[in-house]
Amino acid sequence: MSERYDVVVIGGGVVGAAIARELSRFRLRIALLERQAEVGFGTSKTNSGIIHPGHDTSPATLKGRLVVRGNALYDRLAAELHFGFRRIGQLNVALEPADLEVLQRLKAQGDAKGVPGLELWDRARLRREEPNLSRELWGALHAPSAGVINPYELVFALVESAERNGVALAVDCPVTALAADGDGLAVHTPRGVFRGRFVLNCAGVESDRVAALAGAQTFTITPRKGEEYMLDKRLEGLVRRLVFPVPSPKTKGTLIIPTFDGTIMVGPTAEDVEDRDDVATTARGAAAVFAFVRRLCPSIDPRDAITAFAGLRAVADGNDFVIGPTSVRGFVHVAGIQSPGLTAAPAIAEHVRDLLAAEGLALVAKPDFEPGVRAPARFAHLAPEVQEALAARDPRFARVVCRCELVTEAEIDDAVDHGARTLDGLKFRTRAGMGRCQGGFCTPRAMEILARRLGVPLHAVTKRGGGSWIALPMGAEQEA
Amino acid sequence: MLGRMEGDYDVVVVGGGPAGLAAAIGARDAGAARVLVVDREDEAGGILLQCIHAGFGLHYFQEELTGPEYAERFVARALDRDIDVVCSAYVSGAGLDSDGTRRVRVMREGHGIRTARSRAMVLAMGCRERTRGAVHIPGTRPAGVLTAGLAQRFVNVMGLLPGRRVAILGSGDIGLIMARRLTLEGCEVVGVFELMPFSNGLTRNVVQCLRDFGIPLHLSTTVVEIHGRDRVEKITVAPVGADLAPDLARRWQVPCDTLLLSIGLVPENELSQALGVELDVVTQGPRVSSTLETSLPGVFACGNVLHVHDLCDYVTEEALLAGRFAGELAGGVKRPRDNIRVVPGDNVRYCVPHTLAPGREHTVYLRCQRPLRPAAIRVGDLVRRKLGFVTPAEMITFRIKPDVLDRFHGEARRIDLLGEPAGAHLAGAEP
Amino acid sequence: MSPVTTTLTCIACPIGCALRLTHEGRDIVELAGATCDRGAKYAAEELVDPRRQLSTTVAVEGARVRRLPVKATRPVPRDRVLEAVARIHRLRVRAPVRSGQVLVEDLLGEPGLAVVATRSLGRVGP
Repeated sequence: MSERYDVVVIGGGVVGAAIARELSRFRLRIALLERQAEVGFGTSKTNSGIIHPGHDTSPATLKGRLVVRGNALYDRLAAELHFGFRRIGQLNVALEPADLEVLQRLKAQGDAKGVPGLELWDRARLRREEPNLSRELWGALHAPSAGVINPYELVFALVESAERNGVALAVDCPVTALAADGDGLAVHTPRGVFRGRFVLNCAGVESDRVAALAGAQTFTITPRKGEEYMLDKRLEGLVRRLVFPVPSPKTKGTLIIPTFDGTIMVGPTAEDVEDRDDVATTARGAAAVFAFVRRLCPSIDPRDAITAFAGLRAVADGNDFVIGPTSVRGFVHVAGIQSPGLTAAPAIAEHVRDLLAAEGLALVAKPDFEPGVRAPARFAHLAPEVQEALAARDPRFARVVCRCELVTEAEIDDAVDHGARTLDGLKFRTRAGMGRCQGGFCTPRAMEILARRLGVPLHAVTKRGGGSWIALPMGAEQEA
Repeated sequence: MLGRMEGDYDVVVVGGGPAGLAAAIGARDAGAARVLVVDREDEAGGILLQCIHAGFGLHYFQEELTGPEYAERFVARALDRDIDVVCSAYVSGAGLDSDGTRRVRVMREGHGIRTARSRAMVLAMGCRERTRGAVHIPGTRPAGVLTAGLAQRFVNVMGLLPGRRVAILGSGDIGLIMARRLTLEGCEVVGVFELMPFSNGLTRNVVQCLRDFGIPLHLSTTVVEIHGRDRVEKITVAPVGADLAPDLARRWQVPCDTLLLSIGLVPENELSQALGVELDVVTQGPRVSSTLETSLPGVFACGNVLHVHDLCDYVTEEALLAGRFAGELAGGVKRPRDNIRVVPGDNVRYCVPHTLAPGREHTVYLRCQRPLRPAAIRVGDLVRRKLGFVTPAEMITFRIKPDVLDRFHGEARRIDLLGEPAGAHLAGAEP
Repeated sequence: MSPVTTTLTCIACPIGCALRLTHEGRDIVELAGATCDRGAKYAAEELVDPRRQLSTTVAVEGARVRRLPVKATRPVPRDRVLEAVARIHRLRVRAPVRSGQVLVEDLLGEPGLAVVATRSLGRVGP
């Protein structure tokens, strides 16, 4: 296969997805390449899911400029794409009296950048608003524009929107070589050659390696690992807002995150690692996270953890986003997108759009651009009467697949219709398997539906593609 | 099995496993005319349907049956008694009306969502397995880490093998039984690793499931890291000290493609909590009276949702009783409220039920914290009885005769387990 | 023949007594460690003809599930368990099948040692 495109986007994480979707507004031929079995399965999936207000990043940096704009774009994006998003506000709390001065400085920085509604709270106000936080805290800075999202849902929805508007998606499609090709570049993959006038390097943790393939390596990525711990729903409502300490130069610190779905997550750690596949959680990381968050909120108990995971932030040397054209014609970096990259992503997409226009890409708006995608069915969130009406109309809404999260067969089917090809793809689209039992009960049913829908035997179902097989055939099936 | 669900009921039982079926039979035999069992699986019988090994029914049927046989007998008995059993049906909510009516909201494939009303309700939802997150095993998150019960379903129902080279964390009975089961299916079971200095499964299972096949049992050892990106490639294990903390200096690696977890069961009480039933923090099941009634009047609980049992026969015995009391209540039989509180004392992890009443014989179920041999049970200063050997893996069943409580006039009775500490007499390394 | 001492863990009940038996061939000369007389019975059987209960599954077609649970009606010789399983696994069953239905007679050539289904499965589909 050899296809010609105006733009080839390498990397189906939130950055590549946001750019592909933004560019799909125009009359362009666009390809989006993802090395894994599904989009968003790299760093995006393991993101903390915070839409930052932006007061804690310096306006002297690119990331500091794009974050505030990105934050503001989220209301419209959520209305169009129906991913879980809620502005719940954020507190930076003072653990020491000296932190109060830092909070004042952050407020001044945020006010100057146009971060809305920043407010300093004294101890009494903090205790009234968040009574379960430690009584030892000295005060807080409240930023009401902070939000939480389900980052994987955002990526799925962005890509679905992009595909609806003509973007060609190729998964299981790692880049093996990049070569000059007439006006642009040829991107070689196991799934064929994708020729593009512009090739965007949105390869996240792998972006320096992709840059090297193009002969345009101007930076090095040091993966910075973050471990997160998800707590039992028992703790739902423990805090109502995101709780941060005061930031350090390397990290925004270890946080308490009331996720969009109501569970509490704690983390992340921040540890520079060598291995780009090192998404292992560690005993040390768990100890550090819980020791720290218990200073913020003493009633958090490590025994409430139902699962843990780790992700890698793509930190470029220079500690800022690396966005712009390179010495290789048509090859554009959108790399080093570390925190607050998720928040900034929609603004990055606009920034890259303008940059490509300046490089000579003609942007002719498509009159038939369709900004919305259909909202996924979310049975558990519906009112009882609505649930009853649905179940009466479609029997699949009366068949429960995942008990912990009350996910019905209709929603599993819907997720497959929306592109789920793996158990993780189902999980991150429907929450089936995300609850307390962690898939103990729903895995067989989910596997059966996936196998039937994909037309493959049960043992061909994978957790997340590649070599992540779940089970082997036995007996008669094995011989057949 | 496609039963009906119509009109109002005397007793509604949530869950059609061994507990739910026995409770329904108990209720019917106590005079309840209309009894409904709601089960979420496609067929009633619960986890018994995948427990294909023998070991069920010695107490109740006086013969040793496999799980599916035991289930089939109970389903037949329920249907013979005109009990309505509905399957592929999930109770997504429950409530109590001010007039005392109990309601369950049933989602049922092909029937939409409907509400069933009853005078009494029995909670029999069973339990679930603890997962990786509950024990904080560091490492990557590849495919191939699963609970022993899920692996059992793969092998015994779905015709799938969970992997080729299997390590097992935890020596609970399901883990031990799966070690044998997978060996018979041609898998290599590379070892069973147990945090505690004693097995958490029945001794005979250690012998029949591990030793017969030369599978090593590593006591006082745990998994400290899982390796592999897409699929499990190996695990790191390490011995633990008396404080149960791993000694990483003595760790070693075990190549395998699968890690089964058999690290304990948790009563599944989300519905109970939604109802507002009060739970015991130790058992994680409802607090119940001597009639197995929860803190909510007319709502009873039995089986593994109440506390985790190790023998199905005990579940049956307890559930028949819960069903009987539910049936009696539905029929208007009133019993005086309990007036004696049971207090777990020395070396007792928990006791069920939580309160007792004079005038009746009671069965108290309890578990110890540490193995003792010989052991004795003491109830206040009233009873003292020799038990021989007690271990946390084995539930203790203790009957208290009516006269014992009739002579008693206090408000609380403390139960202690006394005796000599028993070592790990069944060492894993023994040939 | 001179006496030999063997150690066994009794599986007759949950206590799991450590039995030490001294025997000449199949004759037990001395037994220590048993806390009840079931230990003696177990030791004698284990010494002469150790047997184990056996249950497994076989492939089934035309049913709602893929595996039919089965069991041997009597304990099988411990050292021939894998051989017995290999024989049973060659079975192919078509639903409907009733619990108790005999699938193999005279397993391992032992008269009366049968393999039976332990679950009833109705026929589904064609």
